[in-house]
Formats: sequence, C-alpha cells, structure tokens
Amino acid sequence: MTSTRAGGAEAGRTASLPGGRHGGGAVRRHLAALDGLRGCAVAAVLLFHAGHLQGGFLGVDLFFVLSGFLITGILLQETTAPHGIGLTAFWVRRARRLLPALIAVCTTTLLLTWFFGTHAQLRLALDDAPWVAAQAANWHFVAEQVSYWDAGDSRILTHLWSIAVEWQFYLVWPLVVLVAARGRGGERRIAVIAAAGALLSLALMVSLGDAVDTTRAYQGTDTRAFALLLGALAATAPVRRRLARVPGRSSDALCALSALGLAASWALTAGESSPALFQGGMFAHSAACALLIALLAASPDGIAGRLAGNGVLRQLGELSYSLYLWHWPVFLLLPRTVLGSSGWGRTAVAIGLSLGAAALTRRWVEDPVRRRAPWTVERRGAVTLVAASALAVGVWLAVPQPRPGTGTVDVEQLTTR
Amino acid sequence: MQIDNGPRGISRFTVVLTATVFLGALVSGCGDDADGVRTSASTRGEDGRQEQRVLWVGDSIAGVEGPALKAALTKSGVEFKDMSSDGGGTVVQGDEMSSRLAEPTWKALDRNLSSFRPQVVAYQITTYDWGTAGQQRASYEKLAEAARDADAELVIVSAPPFKLDDFYRQHASAIESAPKVAAQVARDSDGRVRFFDAAQLWGTDSKAAKAQRSSDGIHSCQQGSAAFAAWFAGKLSKSRDFTAADPGEWANGAWTEDRHFDKLGCA
Repeated sequence: MTSTRAGGAEAGRTASLPGGRHGGGAVRRHLAALDGLRGCAVAAVLLFHAGHLQGGFLGVDLFFVLSGFLITGILLQETTAPHGIGLTAFWVRRARRLLPALIAVCTTTLLLTWFFGTHAQLRLALDDAPWVAAQAANWHFVAEQVSYWDAGDSRILTHLWSIAVEWQFYLVWPLVVLVAARGRGGERRIAVIAAAGALLSLALMVSLGDAVDTTRAYQGTDTRAFALLLGALAATAPVRRRLARVPGRSSDALCALSALGLAASWALTAGESSPALFQGGMFAHSAACALLIALLAASPDGIAGRLAGNGVLRQLGELSYSLYLWHWPVFLLLPRTVLGSSGWGRTAVAIGLSLGAAALTRRWVEDPVRRRAPWTVERRGAVTLVAASALAVGVWLAVPQPRPGTGTVDVEQLTTR
Repeated sequence: MQIDNGPRGISRFTVVLTATVFLGALVSGCGDDADGVRTSASTRGEDGRQEQRVLWVGDSIAGVEGPALKAALTKSGVEFKDMSSDGGGTVVQGDEMSSRLAEPTWKALDRNLSSFRPQVVAYQITTYDWGTAGQQRASYEKLAEAARDADAELVIVSAPPFKLDDFYRQHASAIESAPKVAAQVARDSDGRVRFFDAAQLWGTDSKAAKAQRSSDGIHSCQQGSAAFAAWFAGKLSKSRDFTAADPGEWANGAWTEDRHFDKLGCA
C-alpha cells in the first residue's frame, strides 16, 4: 500500500549557484552533482510510492534542502548586482519554471481521472485542484487530515503539497534576503537568520509531531521550513568558506558518510508516521542533506561529485520536476485489474509511463519556456498563459461532478439482518 | 396523632403526593423504558410525542457512521447532532495522549449539552479510550453524570472490531477493556446508563465480512454505516418515544455521498 501524502519535488532544474572551490565568487556554475542528487531524490520518492522503499518519502526533504540552497545562492548573488535583488523578476522566473508544467499536468490529470479514476478520486481531485492552483494545497490537506485518511489512495493530487510549500517559501524568503542581506555582513546575517529559523521550525515540528494525525507536522510550511533554511544556510558565504577549506579527500569522505546516512535512513525509516521523524529525525536528515549539497557544491570535481553527477542520475534529475508531477496520478490511475496492486511488474510499468509523460512534458512544455520560445515570451507568452489557464479552469468546470455513493446501499441487507 | 414536619417543614401532604406520584410512575411504567432506563422530562411535539434529540459522540469511526445515523434518525423524527471528531472524540482521561484528546471532547460536550439540550447522549467507544480500567470507569461515570446533569440519558455503544495495526497494538489491552468497563458502568448505574453491545451487529473479527470494514480495516463504507444506523435506531426506538423509520426511506439518501467515504476509497 502506498501512502497518499508523501512526496514532493522541485528544486530549480538547472543547478546554478555562486561558484564553489573552483568557480570564483560570482560565476554561476552548473552543478551536475546537484542534478544527480535530484535524480536520487525523485527515484526514492517513486520507489516509496511503489511500496519498495519505506523511507523514500525523505527524498522530498532532499528536494527542499536543494531548493533552499539554490534559491538562496541565486538571491545572494543578486545582492551584489548593481540593482540588487529584483523581486518581481525572481518571482516571474519561478513562475515560468514551475507553473507551465504544473498547469499542463494537472489539467491532463483531471481529464485522465475523469476517464480512468473512481468517482471518489475524481471528486477529491476536483476539490483539491483550486488549492493546488492557489499554491496552498498543503494547508488544505492539513485541514483534511490526509495522513489520517491515507488508506484510500483516493487523492490524485495529494503529492502537490510540497510544491505549495516551496512556493510559499519563494514568496517569503526573498523578502527576508532583500532586507537582511543589505550592507556589510549581509551573508552572515542571512546565515544567522537561516540557522535560527531552522531551529524554530524544528521546535514547531517537535511540538506538533506528537499527534494522532501527523499531517500538520508533516505538511506545514512552518514545520518543514528547516529543510529549506538549512539549505539556505549552506549557501551562505560563512559556510561555503569553511567548507572550501576542507581537503579534497576529507570532503569525499564526508560526502560518502552523508550519502550512506541518507541511504540508510531511506531504507530503514518505517513510514511517514515514525515518531522519531518528528522528534529530530527529519531535521537530522535535512542537516545531512545540507552538508552533502554544500560539500558537492564546494568540490564538484571530486570523486563524490563525479559519482553524483553521473549521466543517469543527472538525466533523472533533469526530468525530476515533471516526473514528480506525473508519477502519483500514474500510480493511482494505472488499472489494478491488469497489473495487480503491487509488485515490481506494476512498478516498472508505472515508472516507465511516468518517465514517458515526464519526457514529453519537458520536451513540449518545460524546454520551450526555459529556452524562451517565441510563444512563451512577451505578448504571445501572456496570451499563451491566459489560454492555458482558461483551458485548465474550463476543464475543471466542465468535468461533471460525480456522485459517488449513490445507490451503494443494499436496503434488503438492512431489513433482513 | 401529630406528624412532625421536621426542620425542613415538609408537609404530610407533600410526602403523600410525592409517594403517590412515584408509585404511580413505577406502576404505569411512565418514564421508564424496557431496559429500566428513565427518560428525561422533555417537551412534546405537535403529534404529542416527546421531542427527541440525540447527541452523537465518538471518533472517526462514529464520524463515518454519523451521516447514516442522521438520515435514519431524522427520518424517524429525531433531531440529531454529530459531535464526533476525526482523530479524537474520546472522553477517557487516561494516558497522556487520550487525556489530550479528551480535553476538546469535554469542552464540546459542555457546549452541546447546553445549546442542543439532547435527551440522549450516545457515545461510541473510541479507538483512543486509552487508560487503565479505573481511568476508563471514572471517565464513563463522569460522562454519565454530565448527561444526567443535563437531564439526558447516556447510551454507550461499543466500537466495531477494527484492525489493530502498529499504532493501536500498543493500546490493545485498553481497547479490549473499554467495552467491558462500559458495560459494568451501565450495570451499576441504576438504569441511568445503557450499554449497546455492537458485537451483535459486527461480530468480533474485524476481517470477517460481518464487520463490514473498508479497505483501511477500521472504518465502514456506506453499507456498513447504514447497517449500523438501522441497528442503532432500532435499539434506541425501543426505549425512546419514536418509531424507527424503514431503511428504505433513508438508506440511499444524499448522505451516501459524504466525503468521508471518498477518502476511504469507498464506491
């Protein structure tokens, strides 16, 4: 059985940040190793949802840390630019990065659920879609106590809680950086704020994690903020400077230790409700992720960097956003009558279909937007956005609201008892 | 012969009148039901029947039964209010967790006893009635007292059998003792508390078809909820002033579309 609430993936597909050991302060470098980490993270989440890796949901945590690291790196770099941080430009870039694929996948998912899903799945998808659009799905799911009701596999869009968490972070964190990073010692102030915020977030998780329903602790933006903030901390100059002084072999050894720790936690953590997760376990995982990311960024050409950035993982990482968006609907909508409800055969088909859908989405949606194809920029871009949004809303309105439950009670059974 | 009225000044007339009324009530059975439970004084509706209000208390298992129960009782002329709580709803002040969960239940109960003024408080034993038998007993007796103070009778119904997963297994002994303690509280209550043993409906094996559990092994889908509603309304009607509506009148109503059932992956 798979859970309906794990998962999440986004971390700015192209891993660029201020240069590390070999890069020079202001040079943005593509880090294949971080793409490789994203590949590991999405693979873990997929295997978790397929029922083969009980702690694979922690891949989401790795995504969060990567996001915090990369976004903060970009923002800090902008603070040194002549015009400082351009908030509007930043948000537009994030929207261009995230929204097109999200709109495309969600709209298609609604249609697929209409054709292949159960009535319950369709009704909940129609309920959840506006919250996904508002980037507030995590709070909606907290109110709905999805962890408590996770047995039904009936929420097609439930994995999008993590996208909402990231969006909310993108709205608030640049403002913090804009204000706090000004002037001398700006990066140090950001480091202090990120560290203090992470500890506060940990305290919240500890206090809220001891509950029958753990959705609040698991999906709250505040309780998960430590992952993003530890990533942010790792991107600041004080941390980068210290890690840049770590000798290559020591760096590789630390990377290996961190990676082993992460792999062990993915293999051994017994599900998303394990009490230890909320009592510091998740924080420790985030810290290990942050250390690994910072070391790889500081020393991308070391053994660890080359291993993490190998072709397969890097390509998986480059597909990770679309793959993440697609995998859960595919897992749930794949007919069980043909492939059964579990097993490696079903997993292979589900992952294969998800990869195919992700590749198509990247080819036809993500890449054109990233490469600024004519229909994605300026006036035509605005028209495309309005048309795509109208189509999404139109589908949401047009799909008939199902009436599950109608006629499900056999009255005769009640009267003959 | 002179009768001493005593310090409180109670007249013979008052004593005789009271005794007469009491004996009359006993002889006629007025105010008692078949199980020997007193009904509370209440206003009567236009049809001359007592107005009936049932307050439904419990956890999410009760919450999934609530829509069906509301349909069945409303069709029977009984007002119904559901104060069940997903992931809570216990009244037992036992271990740390159950005490924490019980706190909002007691607050909501106080509010509802005042505002809804039920004639029946129906408490389905929850999956969180964790505590020692003594703590369970004290809590059920406290509930009975709260109901009595509000001029309502208390009905405790046992929980259906449900899957004891890792989460529940550590509380297996409390889960097992709760219905026994509740039944004993009812026996010792002098007729103020009644205990409905739901094993009559569900059996005792959560995996058996009779238990009618959904895919999570804990909650019921529409058919199970309807079965519970029909059974509970029938049991309650024997002691209260109403006739349980025929299931054909309510069993396939709009309640079957309740979103609880979507979340459980029911049809």
